[in-house]
Formats: sequence, structure tokens, C-alpha cells
Amino acid sequence: MGLTHGQVFVYTLMTVISILFLFVTNAYLFRMNFEDWRSVPIPSLLWVNTGSLVLASAGMAWAINGAKKSDLQTIKVGLAIGGLFAIVFVSGQTWAWQQLTTSGFFIAANPANTFFYLITALHALHVLGGMAAWFYVTLKTFKQDTSILQPESIGLLGTYWHYMLLVWVMLFGLLLLT
Amino acid sequence: MYEGQALYHPKGWWTRYVFSQDHKVIALQYTCVALAIGLTGMFLSLLMRMQLGFPGLFESIDAGNYYQDVTMHGMIMVIYLLTALFLGGFGNYLIPLMLGSRDMAFPFVNMLSFWVYFLSVIILVCSFFVESGPTGAGWTLYPPQSILPGTPGADGAGILLMLGSLAVFIIAFTMGGLNYITTVLQSRAKGMNMMRMPLIIWCLFLATFLGLLAFPALLVGAIMLIFDRVLETSFFMPEIFKGGEVLNYGGGSPVLFQHLFWFFGHPEVYIIALPAFGIISELISCHARKNIFGYNMMVWALIAIAGIAFIVWAHHMYVAGMNPYLGFFFATTTLIIAVPTAIKVYNWVITLWNANIKMTVPMLYCLAFLITFLIGGLTGLFLGNVAVDVPLSDTYFVVGHFHMVMAVSPVLALYGGLYHWFPSVTGRMLDDRLGKIHFWITFVGTYLIYFPMHYIGFLGVPRRYYSNEQYDFIPQSVNDLNQFITICALIVGAAQFILLYNFVVSAVRGKEAGSNPWGACTLEWQTLESPPGHGNWGDKLPVVYRWPYDYGLPGATDDFVPQNVPDEQIT
Amino acid sequence: MAFVIVATIIVIGTVLWNAVTPWWFTPLASNWGSLDQTIIISLWVTGVAFVLVSGFIIYCVYKFRYREGHKSEYEPENTKLELWLTVITTIGVVVLLAPGLIAWNDYVALPDEGIEVEGVGQQWVWSYRFPGEDGVYGNTSGRLFSSKNTFGLDPNDPNSLDDILIRSAEVHLPINENVIMQLRSKDVLHDFYIPQFRAKMDLVPGQHTNLWFEPTLLGTYEVACAEYCGTGHYAMRGLITVDTKEDFQTWLDQQPTFAQTLNEGVEGSGKQIAQTLGCVACHSDNGVNGIGPTWKDSFGSTRELASGEIVTVDEAYIKESVVNPIAKIASGYAPIMPAYATLSDEELDAIADYIKTLSN
Repeated sequence: MGLTHGQVFVYTLMTVISILFLFVTNAYLFRMNFEDWRSVPIPSLLWVNTGSLVLASAGMAWAINGAKKSDLQTIKVGLAIGGLFAIVFVSGQTWAWQQLTTSGFFIAANPANTFFYLITALHALHVLGGMAAWFYVTLKTFKQDTSILQPESIGLLGTYWHYMLLVWVMLFGLLLLT
Repeated sequence: MYEGQALYHPKGWWTRYVFSQDHKVIALQYTCVALAIGLTGMFLSLLMRMQLGFPGLFESIDAGNYYQDVTMHGMIMVIYLLTALFLGGFGNYLIPLMLGSRDMAFPFVNMLSFWVYFLSVIILVCSFFVESGPTGAGWTLYPPQSILPGTPGADGAGILLMLGSLAVFIIAFTMGGLNYITTVLQSRAKGMNMMRMPLIIWCLFLATFLGLLAFPALLVGAIMLIFDRVLETSFFMPEIFKGGEVLNYGGGSPVLFQHLFWFFGHPEVYIIALPAFGIISELISCHARKNIFGYNMMVWALIAIAGIAFIVWAHHMYVAGMNPYLGFFFATTTLIIAVPTAIKVYNWVITLWNANIKMTVPMLYCLAFLITFLIGGLTGLFLGNVAVDVPLSDTYFVVGHFHMVMAVSPVLALYGGLYHWFPSVTGRMLDDRLGKIHFWITFVGTYLIYFPMHYIGFLGVPRRYYSNEQYDFIPQSVNDLNQFITICALIVGAAQFILLYNFVVSAVRGKEAGSNPWGACTLEWQTLESPPGHGNWGDKLPVVYRWPYDYGLPGATDDFVPQNVPDEQIT
Repeated sequence: MAFVIVATIIVIGTVLWNAVTPWWFTPLASNWGSLDQTIIISLWVTGVAFVLVSGFIIYCVYKFRYREGHKSEYEPENTKLELWLTVITTIGVVVLLAPGLIAWNDYVALPDEGIEVEGVGQQWVWSYRFPGEDGVYGNTSGRLFSSKNTFGLDPNDPNSLDDILIRSAEVHLPINENVIMQLRSKDVLHDFYIPQFRAKMDLVPGQHTNLWFEPTLLGTYEVACAEYCGTGHYAMRGLITVDTKEDFQTWLDQQPTFAQTLNEGVEGSGKQIAQTLGCVACHSDNGVNGIGPTWKDSFGSTRELASGEIVTVDEAYIKESVVNPIAKIASGYAPIMPAYATLSDEELDAIADYIKTLSN
């Protein structure tokens, strides 16, 4: 087939995760049409968080570049930025939840609220899942592991990061436009 | 495994036997846990049968307990026994061996998938020990009742532990599933293109594909149900008046849960059926000493079944209150899926024509599978036909149908598979006489249990009833039948211990099997050592020259030619 | 050989069973004979398929049993045969589907003319409502439910005052007229199923569903809930009596309208509350213990609790057990009674009074 094992694994995983978000989106669009729906005002913090995720992807892209040139230093910097901004993103999301609850948008008060928390929480969980893989890859990099796997692992990690950004953009768009 | 990947070697007792990354050990681990929890599920069904057959005999079986038994029996059997055993057990053992690979593509993730499965079983079992007891919401867990008082386990930890356990199981399944997809696509031996894979590998591959795409629907439904229960949100909860007051919910749709559940639930039954089909294809051709008939059509039929499986789900919802015009669509797709399924049955049966059939225990199980799957599949045509489903849905006709097609025939296939591959795993044969006794009691017994249920279904006896006493339209003869069925169930239940006894005794003292006791063509019998050692193939990976069904090949002396034998070497 | 014999017995037995089975459709009492006919067609088609395929299997097992030194025929493919089998199977499927879809088309098309009645389900009793003189159902709302207004009717809606309320599980319907049912649930999923009418439909809280049939035989028929709704699911029995048109009208005239129920005092209403809150599903008034202890001759008696404690069934015990049943569960009964925590003192008094009247 021309794909490596890691690629098949990650691409299949991304398909499965996409199905999950497709279902949530489907339920959201279905529920949106009921008369008790009151849209949630999107905290402007979410734009900042989106920026963090973009920076995280940029970091990973940098790391991939470094991997292609076998430049260990670039890889380390790229990975660090990628991981750091992913954490910043998740923290920013939890801060946004706090902001919403203090302004009275409780999770059970309205279906739109519930969906907001559910959607952002599910996405954040998958980002954190990616952090587990990031941890493993970063550990090996910092141990100066130059096995044949490294460029591929970093590439796949980057793919997953970009994928998480893409999913976020679509979900964010959904929340903004409805 | 990929080119150049080093085979993982265990360093000590823990990594050899407990946290093993060898697919064969992991397969055994899955099998043992699945069989253990399956026995629990069987015990629960016997409790149910005691109430139905001899109401009042055991005072401790009250309506609450009864529904807890019903629910846990169903969920355990479908998910924790059948899915785990077919995919985790058979899948893990057979995929690398039959493909000529040393192990799965990601042995570490494989090991993790078992332990996460084990964790899901532990969480499930915990629900038996909490104050509310396990959930009694029915295996389908429909809201609103599944999270409201009035259903056992709903206002305690019971339902939460169930949903949590399912979520953990789904994570395990996803890990295992990604492994299988990657291994089948990437790790085949040289010369083994997709159309030279044994049919069981196709079945396991497509079942995995079904699961990866279907389980997310259940996960979403479960998460939303947890939210509704814990955070009092209203994904599925409309306005509810209960206990004399209007509850704090509103606006949700119970039917939405059903759509999510059955989008998962229907593919789930094919996740169980497909590996069973695969086992039958392997066993029937090997023990009839004849090539499987119509390999290409078998593959296309499997692909068609896997595809159509995603567009039939609402046949579980014909009278659920969804738009009735959807009934036309789903009835049509449901009856269409009967066609590729029928083709598979024809092909198995035609395999027997002009064959040279050995009446071994695995062959007996194949034949019994065919007869019972015929019954189960044909009764499905009644239920799929939307108008006919009106009088029959939620009656014992449904109970009879799904047990025939999910419990009886796949379990017969499963047993056949266990008898067939036991020599590969242990190097010894299972005792033949005990096998035949176990077979006959199980086959005839389960037929007697489930066949009559269809007729009380025609009468209109509803399912999930703790007792029928109050209803005049249900005659005393139904109670007599329930007694008869209970007695059969007790006998069949007891007979399963013959299999367990056979396992234990034969593993220790069984007749030595040699490397290929059945004369099979597939690669798992062509290893250097028997049972296969770690890494399966020694120094050289096998090369494949033919399809897996060269039984009765004209021009060869033996009545079979294994896949890794080139033409020049045929005697 | 054992297999050939046993399988032959099974196949013949399976077919013959259809002729001798004591369990068959209940006598048809509605217009839905087309469903029965579709089932019969299905039995014939599937029966023929079963006999043919099983028979072929048995024949093969007999004829092609293992012979040492013999080899099977090598036949990997026969595309023509497979195509024919596909065509035949498709025809079989069409023969099954066509009558089924035609019947379904009738089932989902509510008739224009007929008697309208609403079936209301709750854990674990049925109740019913007719739209009354004006022929229009009054508006209902989930927020309006209470033990006094168990249909959730809006008293300010002029259409609701003449709605006829049947606050028990027994309803009458006239023969030979279309019955157009609207179905509503107050709490969880239920299903209105009458075996003799062959009709069923789920009740979904938060939405309406519909069902229609035409009773064609006088008599009394049981309603069995056919969607699992909690521990009392099996006890949720209703009764439909099919009357002549005159008898039906006589019965209907005796039933109260919503307006009349608004004027009922609390006295004597304990019995009504017991019906409308679903107590009767578990507590009988005839001395027979069910899911819960019977109320007959219970007041003033002594009772052993699950804890071993002995109590007297007096007003205090009754009222406590309604608002907090878990506190004192009677021995030998499952702890599954829901708590009716928000009933008023008036309502609790009424219930206790009613239970008193059932004892001497």
C-alpha cells in the first residue's frame, strides 16, 4: 500500500475520532432546532485559545522540518513549542469554562450550554490524549534516540496536532455560527 | 510488524506471562477473561429462567433483581463475552499466524488493549457490589427510565459503572482494532495478497472496521447519558412527571438515544456474526476436505454486509415513535442485507457438495451452525419487514430470533473454533467423546429452548416480563412451556462444564496433536514448532504461493496443499 | 450418521410443529388481518427455504461422507450458479417485502374519520382521554402535571374543559369504527399493545405518537405494555372493552369531564390519587399481594419490616412510606417504590383515609 504501520494506525485513529465528532455535531444540529435553544455567547478567550493551538501546530511543523534535516536542536525546540502551546490551549479552555459558569451559563441550564461544554471538553480530552504520545516521543528525543523511527514518529505526531487544530476549527465554527 | 522491527523479547516472569506482548499469550488472556465473565452471564440467565419457569420458588428473585439479571446477562454476553472472545481471542491468535507475520503491528498497544479490557470487566463487576446493585435498565439502557428511580441501579452507582465500563471497553476495542487494521493491511507474508487471505481474516478485518466506526456512536450516547444522569442535563430527557412532581429536565429526545445506540447496535451484531462466519468458512472447508466454494463472492458478500450494516439500524425502532415513513427505507435495506447473507449460506452448503466430509467435532458444529443460523436468519426476515414487526416486536419472537442468531449459532461456531484450534494452542487434541457429548446436548438443547419462543411470540407474550400471571390472553400452557425451557436451560448450562473439563484435562493429558492434525492449508499450522514459539516462524518468514483452500487439488497425492508450498514441491 | 438422523428429525419436527403448535395468533379482533396474512406468507417462503437448504445439507452429509483415499471435487467458482441463486433470493425477498410495505402504508396513514381517543401512559398505569363535545383535545403541558391534574390539562384553554377523562386503566370503544389514538407518556417510554388488535406503538415522553385500528369483535381485550419501563413494566395492564355503539355512548356519558373533575373536593379523592399516581400498579385493593403489599385489611395491622422491626400500619406509617418509602420497607418486598416527596398534607390525608376504608 505504500503506507507505513504508523501512518495506517494514525490515519485510522483519526477516522474513528472524526466519526465521534460527527455524531456530536449531528446531535447538536438536531437539538439546535428545538424552541428552548438559547445560543451561548462565545467567550473571546476562545480566539486566544485558537491562536495557541495554531502556535502549537506551528511548533510541530518546525519539529518535522528539523526531523527531515536530522537537526536535533530544531526538533527539540519544535516539540517543546508544540507541547507547551497544547497545554496552554487546554488551560485556556478550562479558564473559558470558568468564565462561562461565573456569568451564569451553567451546564444543565440550557441544551446549548451543555453542548458547548461537551464539545469543548471532548476536544480537549483528545488533545490531552495526544500529549501522552507527545510525552513518549519527546522523552526519546531528549535521550538522543536517533532510531529509524524518529522522523516518522515526529511526523505522525505533527499530523495529529494539525488534525486536532482542524477539528477545533470546525467545532469552533459550529459554535460561532449557531 | 514492519521491516526491520525487532521482535520484543520478554525479560522476566511479569513480561512473559502477565504483561506479555506476544499475541498468542494476549489471545489466551482475552479468552480466559471472556469465558469467565461469560459463565457469569450464563449463571444470570439461569436465575432469570428460574423465575420464568418456577415463579415464586426463589423468593429472593424479585422484580428488581430479575431486571438486573436480564440487563447484566445481555450486556455481558454481547460485549464482554462475544465481542471480546471473537475479536480479542480468535483475532489476536489467528491474524498474525494466518498472515505469516511474527506478531501484531504494535505489540505494546496490543498488550495495553487486553489490560484495558480487563479493567472494563472489573468496573462492570464492581456494579454487582455497590448499594444500588447493577443497573436493571435492559441491555439497551434506554433513557429516561435507565437513569430514573423506578429502575434498579438508576439512582445509584449501578448505571454509572455500566456506562463507565462501556467507555473503557470502547477504548480497549479501539486500541485493538487499530492494531488489527494495520496488521492486516501491512504485515502479510510475501505472496499473500488480499485475495489469498483466509476468509476468517477478511471477516475479522471487516468486523474490526465495523467496530471502529460504530463504537463511537455508543460512546457519544453513553457520555451524554452520563451527563444527563450526573449533571441533570437534558440530551435525552424530556419533561417528566414522576413521584408526584415535575422533574428538572426538559426538551431532550429519548429517540435520539435510540438512534445513537442502534447505529452502534446493529453493526455490533455483525461484529459478532462476521467472525463466526469466518470460523465456519475455515472449518467447513478443512473438515469437508474441499475448497470453499465461491471465495470471491464470499469476500464481496462480506463487504456488502459490512457496508449495508450501517444503513439498517432503525429496524430496531419501527414502533419507537420515529417518523413512520423511515420504516419503508429501513425495511428495504434490512431485507436487502439478507441477500449477501444468503449467498454466504449457499456457498457454505455448496462446499459440502461432492466433498469428502469428516464428521469431526468441528464439522458437527459447522453443520449445527448452518441449521440454527438458517432459523435465526429467516426469522429476521419477519422482524425486518416493518409491518410484520408491529405485532411481533417486543415479544418472545424477538427473544427467540436474536438468541438463535447471536447466541446459538455464533456460540456453536465458537465452540467449533475452540475444538479446531485447541491443538494449535496446546499441541494436544481435545477429547473426542466428551466433545461429541457436549456438542449434542448443546445443539439439541438450545434448539429446544429457543425454537418454541417464536410461537409464544406469535401469541403475543411480551418480553422483559417478570411474570405473566395477570394476563388472561396468556394460557397456562405458556407457563408449562417456560418450565420445560428452564429445565432444558439448566441441562445445557450444566453441559458447558463438560467443555471446561475437557479443556483442562486435555491440556494436560490430551493426545498429542502433531503440527497439523486436521491437515489444514492455512499458515497457522505450518509453523516450525507446535505450538508456535515466540516469533512464530523461527528465522525465515513463510512465503505464500496459493490461496488457502487447496483441498482436493487435482494432481496432488495428499488431499491438501498448504499455502506455503510452491507448485514445484507438490508431490 | 447420527447427525443425519437428528437433523432430519429436527427439520421435520420444525415444519410439523406449525401444524400442531398450541401457541398461535390470538383471535383477530381488528382490521389488521393484513399483518397476519403477511406473516403467513413469510412462514411459507421461509419454510420452503429452510426445508430446501437443510434438506440439501442433510443429503450432502449423507452422500459425501468421508471415504479414505477419495478426494473431493475441486470447484472454486461457479459464477453462473451464484448469480442464479442471487436472483432467486432477491425474488424471495421481494415476495416478502411487497405485502409488508403495502400493509405498512395502511398502518401509517391515519384515517380521516373515526373516534379519537388519547392513551396516556405512566409508571405503571394507563389512563385515557376523549376530546369531548368540541372534538378538539385541550392543550396540555408537562409543567401542569399534579396529582389533581394528572393529564396536565390547561384549565384556561376552552377546548380542555369538555375533555372526558378516564382515570383508570379500563376504557370502552365502539365496534366497527376507526379508532384514532394519540399516545402520550408522562415519564418514560411505554408501548400500547393489544395482541388481539395486532397494533402497537411506543409512547414517548415529550412527543405525541399515533396508532389506529378498527375493532371488529365485541369483547374485552388486555393492553400489555411492550416497552420496558422499569420494575413494574410487567404489571402495567390495561383493558379495552369493545361495545356496541349504544353501549359505548352510555358508558362515555357516565365519565367525568375535565371541568367536572376541577370541582371535585379532596374528600374521597384518595382513591383517585392512588389511581392517577400509579399506586394501584403495585398495591391492590383485593387482598392479593403484588409488587407491593395489598391495601385491603392493612390499616391497623402489624407488619414486619425488612429490618426485623415490627410496626403498626397507622396514618403516620402510611404517610411516611409515601414520601420516603425506603425508610420502612416491608419484609419480603423489593425496595423499589419511588418517593412521592412533594405531595401535600391534604393529598397524604386523602390517601391514608382511602386505605382506612379498605380495612374493617
